[in-house]
Amino acid sequence: MDAKTILGNALNVSRRDVLQGAAGTAATAAAGASLFRAVEPREAKAFAYSPYPTDDELVTVPTSCAHNCGSRHMLVAHKKGDVIVRLSTDDGRYQGPQGGFGYDTEEMPQLRACLRGRSYRSRLYSAERLLYPMIRVGERGEGKFKRASWDAALDFIAGKMQDLKQKYGPHALLDQSYAGASYGVLHKSDQIEGLLGRFLGMYGCRTSSWSVPSYQATTFSSRMTFGTIEDGNEDDTFAHSKLIIMWGWNPAYTFHGGNTFYYMRLAKQRGCRFVLIDPQYSDSASAYDAWWIPIRPATDAAMMAGMAFHIFTNGLQDQDFINRFTQGMDPGTMPQWAQGQESFKDYILGTRDGQPKTPEWASAICGVPATDIVKLADLYARTKPAALKASWAPGRNSNGEQYNRMAAALQAMTGNIGKLGGCAEGVGKAWHAEGIAYPYDEFSNVWYASIKSDRWAHLVLNYPNLKREEIGLWPRSDNLDGVIPNVRGIFWQGSNWFNQLPNINKQIEAMKKLDLVVCNDATITPSGLYADVLFPVATHFERHDVALPWYKGHYYIHRPKVIQPLGESKTDFQIYTELAHRLGFGERYNPRASREYFHYDDAVDEAYLSAWWEKVQHHQGADISWEEFKARGTYKFKLPRLHVAFQDQIEKGVPFQTPSGKIEILSTQLAQVTDWTRTAWGHPIPAIPKWTEPFESLNHTEKRAEHPFHLITPHARWRTHSIFNNIPWLRETYEQEVTINAADAATLGIKTGDTVEVYNARGRMVLPAYVTERVMPGVVVVHEGAWLDLDGDGVDRAGNPDVLTLDEPSPAGGFAYNTILVNLRKTDLNHRPGWDQLATSRAHVFRRST
Amino acid sequence: MEEEKKARVQVAVAARKRKGYTPVTPDMQLGFVHNNVDCIGCRACEIACKDKNGLPPGPRFRRVMYVEGGKFPEVFAYKVNMSCNHCAEPACLPTCPTGAIFKRTKDGIVDIDSSLCIGCRRCEAACPFGAPQFDPISNTVMKCNLCVDEIDAGRKPYCVMGCMMRVLDVGPIDKIRDGSYATKAVGPGERVVRQVRNMANPELTNPSIAFVAHPKGKVEG
Ligand code: SF4
Ligand code: SF4
Ligand code: SF4
Repeated sequence: MDAKTILGNALNVSRRDVLQGAAGTAATAAAGASLFRAVEPREAKAFAYSPYPTDDELVTVPTSCAHNCGSRHMLVAHKKGDVIVRLSTDDGRYQGPQGGFGYDTEEMPQLRACLRGRSYRSRLYSAERLLYPMIRVGERGEGKFKRASWDAALDFIAGKMQDLKQKYGPHALLDQSYAGASYGVLHKSDQIEGLLGRFLGMYGCRTSSWSVPSYQATTFSSRMTFGTIEDGNEDDTFAHSKLIIMWGWNPAYTFHGGNTFYYMRLAKQRGCRFVLIDPQYSDSASAYDAWWIPIRPATDAAMMAGMAFHIFTNGLQDQDFINRFTQGMDPGTMPQWAQGQESFKDYILGTRDGQPKTPEWASAICGVPATDIVKLADLYARTKPAALKASWAPGRNSNGEQYNRMAAALQAMTGNIGKLGGCAEGVGKAWHAEGIAYPYDEFSNVWYASIKSDRWAHLVLNYPNLKREEIGLWPRSDNLDGVIPNVRGIFWQGSNWFNQLPNINKQIEAMKKLDLVVCNDATITPSGLYADVLFPVATHFERHDVALPWYKGHYYIHRPKVIQPLGESKTDFQIYTELAHRLGFGERYNPRASREYFHYDDAVDEAYLSAWWEKVQHHQGADISWEEFKARGTYKFKLPRLHVAFQDQIEKGVPFQTPSGKIEILSTQLAQVTDWTRTAWGHPIPAIPKWTEPFESLNHTEKRAEHPFHLITPHARWRTHSIFNNIPWLRETYEQEVTINAADAATLGIKTGDTVEVYNARGRMVLPAYVTERVMPGVVVVHEGAWLDLDGDGVDRAGNPDVLTLDEPSPAGGFAYNTILVNLRKTDLNHRPGWDQLATSRAHVFRRST
Repeated sequence: MEEEKKARVQVAVAARKRKGYTPVTPDMQLGFVHNNVDCIGCRACEIACKDKNGLPPGPRFRRVMYVEGGKFPEVFAYKVNMSCNHCAEPACLPTCPTGAIFKRTKDGIVDIDSSLCIGCRRCEAACPFGAPQFDPISNTVMKCNLCVDEIDAGRKPYCVMGCMMRVLDVGPIDKIRDGSYATKAVGPGERVVRQVRNMANPELTNPSIAFVAHPKGKVEG
């Protein structure tokens, strides 16, 4: 059987087929005899669709999912031979002595996988799986490849790398690694702590990409305000809030922490009230029975300023907290060096600029009635403890960092920081995991230039005629500072960057100028179509690793090699190690491995991981051995107290990690910048949070003449960014569609199910409409991450909103994914969801009942 | 195999005609309970079911139905999650010409013997809840069998064990209804109902399912 047939069989395993290989002959032989016996419906082995292997007849292997969501859950593989027959999830049996089937407590809840995790089998065995190294034969982007041997493909890349480095110097290769589908302690793809970064850095040729698409504005805010992105509480703390304000946050979609959404249900049962500020009435709003406050996109900071005004002018702030822990909140907390400068309170009251930021002022900008702004401010200031969860999405706007900075000011002025049931998030990273098992040393993040991730196309298209601030060049203290990098090649690892970065059409132009594009991935993706070489990467079922929650959660999940790698796929670590050998630094790159590693990785990976576990034992007090951890499958820590960010700062006076040791509403670092062009940000950013007009919004009447709708592009629940877009199970469950308000739709003559074109000056896309009262007028919604599918005229038939987004980042580096004006019209063009609809089940009748 | 199936079906049809149909009263009836409000509509339960049963795109044994209404900005939304209700008086069962559908005495599970199913889709038409799902690849109707293999192994079905919010559960339906069954699906102070809006009349088949209803999903009486 060739690999494709094995894949096909494995995926389409129907109840009756699964054991045919084994039982077929016997059954045929016995057929004559059985003809007149089994006339009653069969209950044999308690399953009518026999033969059917029950879980207990299969081999059980606990593991986890691995994609880049804000969470990490358990998957349990049930396999026969080397084929995974089905997946289940944590059921309480995998957590040591106190566990057992059904064990699921508030202190140690099960880590139940979401729909994407549950669909992993079809990703593993998908038709899009890459099984062999491939080399491009057609034009770049045409999608024509031929199979190559590993030897030929690796030699080709090694040769190209040497050429480019020699001709163009240490900037020539752009690292576009991201944590897409490869998040583990050993087999890691990541911008900063990843295998690719270390490989290119050690080779001496790497331009790095510094901004994170999901939350760069938020990262900036957390770092400036608190000095760290670890401003998060563990998910169990949410059960202790009296009020949870979900600001642009939809935990029913984006799983931030293994059980956040569940702990919020517990909070609701204990009397917590919920508020949602969002242009959409999300499923989180309905499940938590939240007060919905619709808001114009990209105007959140204005509304928050209006709330601050109400709090200050009514004396509702926690003045004691402000005095003790903040810098620059009001004139009394201004540091010596900034005496006489504008404090945050000055700004809010308008003492300097003459514009008090009243609720009425805010209302004109954000569209929320002033009475609601007052009501919410009052509720937030008077309810203790209250969690204002300032999520990332509103930060993905032009000047999005001001929203997150403003939120931190509200959290601080109400004294909700460092307290159980309060919230200082921000980025929201909580418990600190022991994250790295691969060699981590001085070579781990070597780079010769670092640019804002979404500016690569701008750089390549305009080189060398551009200024450093146009690409967000990170400052250096050597003679490479300010040198505009001449990028000639791109390496992709663990991500489908090209599909996910703004303004795809501009990227396509830039793509044509490159000399080399290398893609490591488990499946073909729209990015992969533009590669010169495709390296097939083993999925996390096919390599040995340990999973960690990167965001919230205090546990590890062992990830054994459940099955052998499909086809000729190899791990990223094997690929880079072998390339490093060909380039002469293999032993330094992977010190535990010999050249044999490309073929035999088990012993080396085991050695890295068991050494890592020793660190876990020493640093984090895990009280079982590596062998026992492997046998159990998970290790869940019992923390001495619920993890609340900054509790020690508030209770014990430990200084914050900022220059002043305080919560910096007035940022020391920003206040001291004299030449913004020499910073990574490139453009001025106020030292205190301030409402700053976005590039475009519903308030820009002139721009709205042509493009009257504001498009927001939130994360889908049925994909992790672009991962899982190729899974038919998930595509039939949710559709890629443009959500539009019913009144707007009526004006345009659009009904649910109509095919519409959404367009602006940057691009066009075609997708079905979903008409609803659940989104505010003037706003349309398309989830990010659909796989680009261009027709001959450059129209995207899949509905990937990044053909419309702008590649102009916010000053602090935030991607402006939610700052887009567009227009809509009905169209005869075809939408292509990407799979053939084999059957219309009765289920569809019910899908959208109202 | 095809020949064998034909022969089996012939015998079964004859037996079905000869014996007619006697309703089954189970010793105990299992049923589902779902919290319409607290369900986040994530559909992890649906995908868990698809994977468990190796289903192709198309048939969906479990269907999380989205209900929404109101006028901007006074809107509401909730979810009604249904698979097969393993009804006390199944409408599907008597329509089956081959007798492939049966109800277990032990726990009232209604299941289809796919080796007798001829894909005539009569059960699909008869069921008021859209539970039977036609699979054009195998030309059979399939549906939720309450994960009998898991039930017999002393565990709960895949969908229930997969529910991220713990709002879907299974148990003896009588106890679920009278509130004596311990389940996280029903929160403190909440009561369950037999019917919600947008759902066919339970009098038709007496479905073994209970809901915590959304205020807008409540049915009078
Ligand atoms: S829900 Fe439909 S298929 Fe299930 S037992 Fe009732 S009538 Fe039959
Ligand atoms: S009980 Fe089993 S077959 Fe029925 S819906 Fe749940 S997972 Fe699917
Ligand atoms: S898994 Fe639970 S919360 Fe998610 S849709 Fe199903 S019933 Fe609802």
